[in-house]
Amino acid sequence: MPDLGRLLGELVSFIGEQVAASSLRLGPVATVVLLGVVLVLLSLVARPSSRWTVRDIGRLAAVNRAMALAAESGGEAAFSLGTAGVARAASALGRLQTLAAMPILSLVARSAARSGVPLRVTANDPVAVQMADQLLADAHRRTETPERRERSVAEYVGEGRATAAAAALARGGAPAATFVAGSLAEEGLILLHGASRGAAWTSFGTADASQATSVLLTGEGTMIGPELYQATSDLRGRADRTAALAANRVILAALAVIVIGSVVAIVGGADVAAVLAGS
Amino acid sequence: MPATIVVVIGLLLLVNFVVINPLLAGTTGAVLRLVVLLAAAAALAGGLALVLRHGSDLVRGHGDRLGSAVLLAGMAAMLVAGLYPGSQGAADPVVRWLVAALLAPLIAALFAMLFVLLLGAMRQGMALRSRQMGVMLAAAGVVIALLLPFGGAAGEWMSGVAGWALEVPIGGVFRGLLIGVAIVTAVHAARILLAVEGADD
Repeated sequence: MPDLGRLLGELVSFIGEQVAASSLRLGPVATVVLLGVVLVLLSLVARPSSRWTVRDIGRLAAVNRAMALAAESGGEAAFSLGTAGVARAASALGRLQTLAAMPILSLVARSAARSGVPLRVTANDPVAVQMADQLLADAHRRTETPERRERSVAEYVGEGRATAAAAALARGGAPAATFVAGSLAEEGLILLHGASRGAAWTSFGTADASQATSVLLTGEGTMIGPELYQATSDLRGRADRTAALAANRVILAALAVIVIGSVVAIVGGADVAAVLAGS
Repeated sequence: MPATIVVVIGLLLLVNFVVINPLLAGTTGAVLRLVVLLAAAAALAGGLALVLRHGSDLVRGHGDRLGSAVLLAGMAAMLVAGLYPGSQGAADPVVRWLVAALLAPLIAALFAMLFVLLLGAMRQGMALRSRQMGVMLAAAGVVIALLLPFGGAAGEWMSGVAGWALEVPIGGVFRGLLIGVAIVTAVHAARILLAVEGADD
């Protein structure tokens, strides 16, 4: 018959062995500082967003109105995820902007789904396209409009920044509402120009400082620099904030264990790992 | 469930960054190799999807048929050049010629349109008559005027003022943007690691 006590003992012993076989990569002080920084960052993550919202960044508050107008005119909406993608050989800061654009895409997709407006998402990275496709499916599931799902597409335009810009420039038709959110480089103005051509409503955003002027020149709603991330944060829901607060507590507990364990080890010479392992 | 996976993987990577442990290092290494495989599979699927979409457009007569035909012909040419028996793959002379003689000039021609598009965008911006557009165009006008090729003491003074404008006020704005982006990037990375994602209406 299985002995639960023995199983538990072996589990604790295994954890203890792993703790004993580990060492801090950066040392106790640096680790505490690092976790402290993460704690501060998470506090910022969980901050009440409304306190900091002083204006409608990127005109995102008017997305529903834009979609209503698009539905009335029988038009479609377009969303470009910039040119860095998620799994491309681009800078980490650029790829993170693509991820930052996903909640904005989610908001736009739900609004488009409710209004019955076909949404066409384009990216130059297959992984980003897959993520966008999932967001489109999720938007139609959450708005209970599965019959409209086929009308919205996430499209891979090919590899390369220039390809994305050329595809935007060569695009046929004029969408009623156009969104561009993500990393842009030298080709930014070409992509934005192509995206905004003929569009009745535009909202562009990038955290690339060098392309701030391109966004300002071509977009009506703009998200410049940190605003791309700020807009994302302001769209956050209550449950997410609770998760961040919970994570804060986990990190606080980790910090306490490290500090108390270090003090006990230094002052009393006790082997914390041995205590955990029960040996 | 996806949020749980993201949190677990995120915490695993975070702990591996802080703690040296062979088991942990092996696990994170395996996860990262899986991500590389996933990206490779997605790239293959993306290429196939591109062929299917443009092939379908070509057959059914939808969209830009000429563009679809050019794209498919280009893909076929590159595949043949890179995969024919005895080919050296990406280092094959035919592939290199296709890139150097066709692709690079095409991209250069595209980027050459930037100047024209910039003028068009400025015209469009002036038509919008927004305050930020006015400030930006006025600043650009001042800097361009200061950089006009005048000689003598006046020319040197103008050049000096232009340099100061680029280094101090404009440089300050850029540095401010970069600092702000760095802070929010760190916050956003923490949010992703903990699956604090999603947007509500």
